[in-house]
Formats: sequence, structure tokens, C-alpha cells
Amino acid sequence: MKRLSLILCLIALSLLVIGCTGTAWEGWSGFTAADDVLYFGTMDGRVLAISPEARSQKLSFPSENEWSFTIPAMSAPGAICGPACVPASPRATIYATPVVVEDLLCVGIYAGENGKLVAVDRLAPGYTEGVPLRSKGEWAYPGVAKSIGAIVGTPVVVEDTLYVGSSDGKLYALDAIYGEKKWEFDTGGKIWTSPAVEDGAVYVSNYERKLFAVSITDHTLLWEIELPASIASSPVISEGSIYFGTFDRNLYAIAINDGSEKWKFEGGNWFWATPIVKDGVVYAGCLDHQIYALDAITGEKLWQFVADAPVVATPVFSDNLLVAASESGEMYILEPDSGVLVRSVSIGYQVMGPLYAEENIVYVHARNRCVYAIDVQSGDTVWEFCYSDIQ
Amino acid sequence: MAELWNTIILEPVLNSLIALTTMLGGSFGLAIIVLTVVVRLALFPLTVRQTQSTKAMQTLQPRIQELQKKYAKNQQKLQQETMKLYKEAGINPLGCLWPMLIQLPIWIALYQSIMQALAATPENLLNLSQHLYSWAAVGNAVPLNELFLWLRLSRPDPNLILAILVGGTMWVQQKMVTAPTADPRQKSMTSMTTMMMPLMFGFFTLSFPSGLALYWVVSNVIGIVIQYFVSGGWGYLRAPSAPRPAQAPAPGQKPVPVQRISPTQKPSKTAQKATEESKTLKNASDEKKRGLFGR
Repeated sequence: MKRLSLILCLIALSLLVIGCTGTAWEGWSGFTAADDVLYFGTMDGRVLAISPEARSQKLSFPSENEWSFTIPAMSAPGAICGPACVPASPRATIYATPVVVEDLLCVGIYAGENGKLVAVDRLAPGYTEGVPLRSKGEWAYPGVAKSIGAIVGTPVVVEDTLYVGSSDGKLYALDAIYGEKKWEFDTGGKIWTSPAVEDGAVYVSNYERKLFAVSITDHTLLWEIELPASIASSPVISEGSIYFGTFDRNLYAIAINDGSEKWKFEGGNWFWATPIVKDGVVYAGCLDHQIYALDAITGEKLWQFVADAPVVATPVFSDNLLVAASESGEMYILEPDSGVLVRSVSIGYQVMGPLYAEENIVYVHARNRCVYAIDVQSGDTVWEFCYSDIQ
Repeated sequence: MAELWNTIILEPVLNSLIALTTMLGGSFGLAIIVLTVVVRLALFPLTVRQTQSTKAMQTLQPRIQELQKKYAKNQQKLQQETMKLYKEAGINPLGCLWPMLIQLPIWIALYQSIMQALAATPENLLNLSQHLYSWAAVGNAVPLNELFLWLRLSRPDPNLILAILVGGTMWVQQKMVTAPTADPRQKSMTSMTTMMMPLMFGFFTLSFPSGLALYWVVSNVIGIVIQYFVSGGWGYLRAPSAPRPAQAPAPGQKPVPVQRISPTQKPSKTAQKATEESKTLKNASDEKKRGLFGR
């Protein structure tokens, strides 16, 4: 009996340990820039504004134009405080890359089941204790005490309207300046990808295998298509086609006027990273460790490059070179025409957030909670900034 | 080691679970129920063996207690005598542990699969990609629809229904196999097993994804059904009070009526003890030999 009790206790303990080994949410926000300041969401629930110039001079943080803003925790109705897995007040974090709207920085928040959008003064946030400072034009949607579904996909701003998809299945169109809802469209399934806007329509996918085209003038459904599998990556639009990856390991090209399939290309795993399109070529990182270059018109494979690990982060163009990062932290600088490796740089830490480039510098948000500025021409790390110690 | 575990055990279970979801019309809740039933049925012979071994061990408990009293100061002798007793009854003391140890990896894999397949956070979903086969039935089901009945399977049940079901079914299962005892030390251990475990798991249910709690409920219910048929009844669940140590009946057995013996017929102490010993050994041996549904 003693032995049996001991075994039962061990089983219970191991269940606890195994059960809670699922990764906690940390976020993987990318960067946006305005007025020589980089803005991004950290993995510890903050928004940081950092000046590349100040970081290259290794000035103490915060220097001029730099700040740190902590996203307030959100309550989770229905959750009961328990051992570890689901805290009652889930910590907020950021997956979506913040967007700049005039003097505001709009941030999509993920807090487990809940989320909201907040806009802070990007010059000096006035938000205190979770309440936006109205005199600075700051706002929170749907409100200070209210929430919508968690936000994972990056919002898109077109002509002062902010479009964002939410885990509650709705596409929200908000006034980007005042934070008021203009309209919403219910897709009926969780949205974890970014919308894309082109020619008077917003395109959004949900996790019920559907892709929708919604008119931004009268908010009506233009068309919807159901695919064999749900859409894994955020879509990108170029030359009348929308490109995205699905969970059945395909990369699709769909005509944006009627939703008809132009071509699809099968990879060895999910195309999780958002593809990028340049000069008639689709560049897509895949979780099968490959970076593919495909003809945007025909879907024909032009070349492929083998990375050392899955490619999670969205690649970027810098100085006419294609820069991609593998999950293991290896960065590859490639010739876009041939896929020939120009040079590689090892960060040494996991990279999941989208890369961001300005001129010949690529900014990387690594999982060790540090930001790296890499010179594409030399392959040197110009500066690095670790934010876990700063208050 | 982790890679070996993933390849041999976790990934087959995980992919089966997801493919099953596609086959069952996209209902992950139904897939959890069906896979739990299938796995428990596959492990049925082991469960039966474990149940029988446990029962046989319990039948010997009065004799072991006697030995413990008799050789309280001589641990070596106690060990020798205990092993001798097991040998005479034809019982391997580890017999009830092996089936449990063999089942454990499968339970852990099932448990991990449910956690991973639910992919509650973007990181979890991304991590899932490294464990999936290229089967169409798998790719088409991901990410899984987490709605089932009133539950969101990746979140805890906000009502107490699932917690009560988990705790209740676990208590019934524990109660069916735990023999009442008069020994106060054992009694406290028994009450810990029968009460603490259901309470603990009921509490876990309030904070763990309800998909896992669903698996616990189904697994417990199947355990109760197996126990019912193997033991031929509700076992110790219906036992009203702790029996005297020497007369502890096996679960499902009718208690032996106390014989009235006149003072003139009173047998000698040695003869009485020998009769009790042989009866206990016979009971334990019978428990071991008795086949499935053998009563």
C-alpha cells in the first residue's frame, strides 16, 4: 500500500511536471521604425523604444527618445488560480509587430484568451496603471476594463483605419487615431494571422480553413474560399495574387479578384513565415529547413537553400540581398537571383520574430531577449542590446 | 533520449490522435475519448494482471501483518519470512508494479499528446510542426477545433462539473481497490490514497486544459468498468467497515460466516492458526490463478 501510494504520488507529480512543460507564451514581436527610433514588443510584456544611434554608442538606457512601457496584465474571466498552467491574471505579451500611426504606436496584446489594442504616445507614453492618457490622444480598444480575443497577427493601417484579426474570430476595423470601432466582420474561427489590404478589400484567414475578401467601403463579403487546410502564415499581396502557406505544407497563390487558385507548391513542412515577393519572385522560409524561391506567376521553383534548422522568422531584403534566419539563430545572407550564400552570421540564440531592415542593417529580436543589429555587407554585429535587465 | 521518446512513443500517439480527429468530423473531444478507450482496451490484459496481483497481495496482508509483529526486531528474518510467504502463495511481490510501469509511458505519451495537440499558444502550435507526419488527415486537422460540448478543450472548465467528475470517478476507482484495514498506520495511508488523489486531481482540473480532464474522466470510467468485471462487483466500495485483520475478505468475495464452536469442540490454538494460515495462502493463490471474470 505504501509503495502504491508512493507510485500514485509520483504519477501525479510527473503529470504536473509534464503538463506544464508546454511553452508559456512569450511573444515574438518584430520591429517598426519612425524618426530614427525602433519600436518593438518584448518577450516580457513591454514595448520598448530604442535608438540605434544610442545603442551603437552603448549609452545607458533610456537615452533620448528611448522608453519602456509595461503592458498591464489582463484579467481572465472564468480562469481559476491553479498550480501553474493557467494563471488567473495572465501576463500580457506581444506577438504582433507594433504599428506607427502619426504620433501613436498601436500595439496588439496577447494574454491567453484575451487581448486588446492599445495606442500609446510614441514620443513619451502617458499610460499609467493601464489607463490611457486622453490628453495625449492615447486609447485602448475595447476599453480599459474590457477585452476582445487575443491578438497574434500584426495590425495593418490603411488611411487611418486599423485592421486587426483576433482570436475571437472577428476582423476589427478601428479608427486608428481615436480607437473607435468602425466595423467588424465575424469569420467564425480563430484568427492568428495578419490581414492584408489591397484595392479596396481586406483579406483575412481564420483557423477554420477559410480565406475571406471583405470590402472596406461597405464591409460586405466579396468572396470566401475554403481550403483543404487552415492558413499557417500571414498573407502577402503582389500583382493581383495573394500568397500564403497552409498547414498541409503547401504555399498557395490565389487570385485576389475572385479567390481562384493560381498555383500551389508543396514543401516538406509548414510555410509558417510570411512569404515576401520581389521582382516576380516569391521567397518563402519553411519549417523543413529550406528557403524557397518560386516564380510568382507559375509557382515554379527557381532555387532552394538549405538552412540548419526550421525557418520561422520572416526574411527581409537589405541592400539587395535576401536575409533569412533559422530558428537556431544562424543568419543567411543570400543572392536573391541564385540563392548563393554570400555570408552567414551566427547569433547563437533562437530567432522567431520577423527580421527588420533599414539600409544595410538588419535588426534581429532573439529569444535570449536581446536585439542584434547586423551589418549585411560585413556580417558584423554592429551592436547588441539585452533588455531583460532594464527596468 | 528525448528524441527517441518522441519518435517511438509520443509521435505515433500524437499523430493518431490528430488523424482520429479528422476521421471523427473534426471533434477533438471525441478523438480523446475514442483514443483513451482504444489504449485502455489494448492495455486490458496488463490491467487485469495488475488488478489480480494487487488483490492477491491484499489477501496476504493479514499474514504479513502478523509477521511484522512477530519479527518487529529482526528485519532480516522478517524479509526472509515475507519472501517465503510470497513464494508459498506463488506471488511475485513486484507483479502488481510491472504492469503499471509498462503502462506508464503510454499514459504519459497520451497525456503529452493531448497537451501538444491542443497548442494553446502560438509557441505550442509552432512546436507541434516538428512532431507531425505528412499525412493529409493530420495536416488538414491542424490547428484543432477546441470546442467540445460546453468545453474549450485548451482551457480549464470554468464550471465545477469536470472537476467533480474527475474527483468522483477517481474516488470510486480508488475505493473499489483499497481494502479497509484496522491497522491505524495503514488506515491513514489508505485514506490518503482514496481521498487525497481525487481531491488533488479535482483541483488540477480547475487549472489544467479541460481536454486533459476529459481524458482523466474517460480513463477513470473505463478503469471502474474493468475493475467491476474483473473483481465481479463493486469490490471494497461496498465494504461498510474495517474488518478484523485475520478475516479480511477479498473484494467481491462473500465474507466467511463465523462458525459457532462449542467449548468442548474448541480446537487447539496451533491447529486454529494453521487452518487460518492455509486458508489465507489458498485465497491468495486462488486470486492469482483465477482467470478473467472467473467468479
